[in-house]
Amino acid sequence: MPAFIIGSGTSIPDRVVSNEEIAPSLGLDPEQIFKSSGILRRRWAEAGTTTSALASVALQTAITDAGVLPEEIDYLIFGTMTPDRLIPGSAPTVQRTLGLGQIPCLDIRQACCNPLYALQIATALIGSNLASRVAICLAEIQSAWLDMSPESGTTSMLFGDGASALIVSGDTSSNSLEVIDIALATDGSYVDDLGVRGPGTEFGTAASGNENSKPRMVGQSVILNASRKIMAACQDVLKRNSLQVADIRWLVPHQANANLLAQIARGLHFPVENGGLISVLEDLGNTSSASMGIALDSLRRSARISPGDYLLLPAFGAGFSWGAGLCRATS
Amino acid sequence: MSLPQAVLDFLNENAQREGNPAPGPNDDLFKDGALDSFALIDFVTLLEEHTGIKVPDKDVNPGNFQTLDAVERYIETHKG
Repeated sequence: MPAFIIGSGTSIPDRVVSNEEIAPSLGLDPEQIFKSSGILRRRWAEAGTTTSALASVALQTAITDAGVLPEEIDYLIFGTMTPDRLIPGSAPTVQRTLGLGQIPCLDIRQACCNPLYALQIATALIGSNLASRVAICLAEIQSAWLDMSPESGTTSMLFGDGASALIVSGDTSSNSLEVIDIALATDGSYVDDLGVRGPGTEFGTAASGNENSKPRMVGQSVILNASRKIMAACQDVLKRNSLQVADIRWLVPHQANANLLAQIARGLHFPVENGGLISVLEDLGNTSSASMGIALDSLRRSARISPGDYLLLPAFGAGFSWGAGLCRATS
Repeated sequence: MSLPQAVLDFLNENAQREGNPAPGPNDDLFKDGALDSFALIDFVTLLEEHTGIKVPDKDVNPGNFQTLDAVERYIETHKG
């Protein structure tokens, strides 16, 4: 049975944080931040805002967009690296907040690949008749975790807060996207090149205030692997569906860095002149799990998608994990 | 040896886009804007295509490709 994205939503915090505001503490120049990332500003949530609160707003919007009732949702998947609590996951809080039924609630933690993993799980659940309407929350409040010292400048300059949500259904509707394929891969050799080491059993249970609780990024390794592996994933998913890059109308990547997005488009020979590369980086920064969903929601709401359009959704993140999704707009 | 023209064109165009002249043999390619972390990936791919060498992932870092002379030395050392 096919699965369709029939609704989407976004929730973005109000507070705009410019490069000019963060550059001094990070020991960087505002123009340098823009030049190396394509980011002009990001949004940060007010202190005390929970990730599930942001996600709940996005999901309510997606439910309304899909034209379904909350009680029709029969599975909830929540992808985040910045959960409300260590235990339990954040999905149960969203279930309670929105008054969903007593349905399965699953938290996943595949970092920036969360959207692809969530879509693959949702598609499999629907395909196996275990669920008929799956809600996906993708949310991060990263600002609370950032090290705003020069030592972490080129990492912390990237990240913003935000949430997106998708409704995946076995039934199609107007403005829906059929999930055609999802290709995923992981190479655990790089677990230390991108991520946060603690708290955990390997580096200790201290929650903050030490080196292991700070985000880590080995820039050149991330750039090299992201550009090569994303391109390979895109080519893989196209090949196994007998498609060419020329068949793709919309490229909706994980919003990591504008230079990486441009490089992917260049490497794939994807034409950017017709506005097919979707980026929300300039205003929102890298919102990790949430970013692809935010970009996809902005594209859906722009009403620029035509029936039959193919969308390619590549992502790369901690692990390293990477992959690409393929969707087609229904008529 | 001299570097393939396609490789030199890539570096020169990047430098010129940053308002700098074509880099000389010992100019810092990263300071001149001929290379940055992202352009380095495209640069290595070009090198592989035009010189026949294979650059292992662990070698893709600015230290190996800081100047034109360093690039030439790298190619000489890694030719099959």
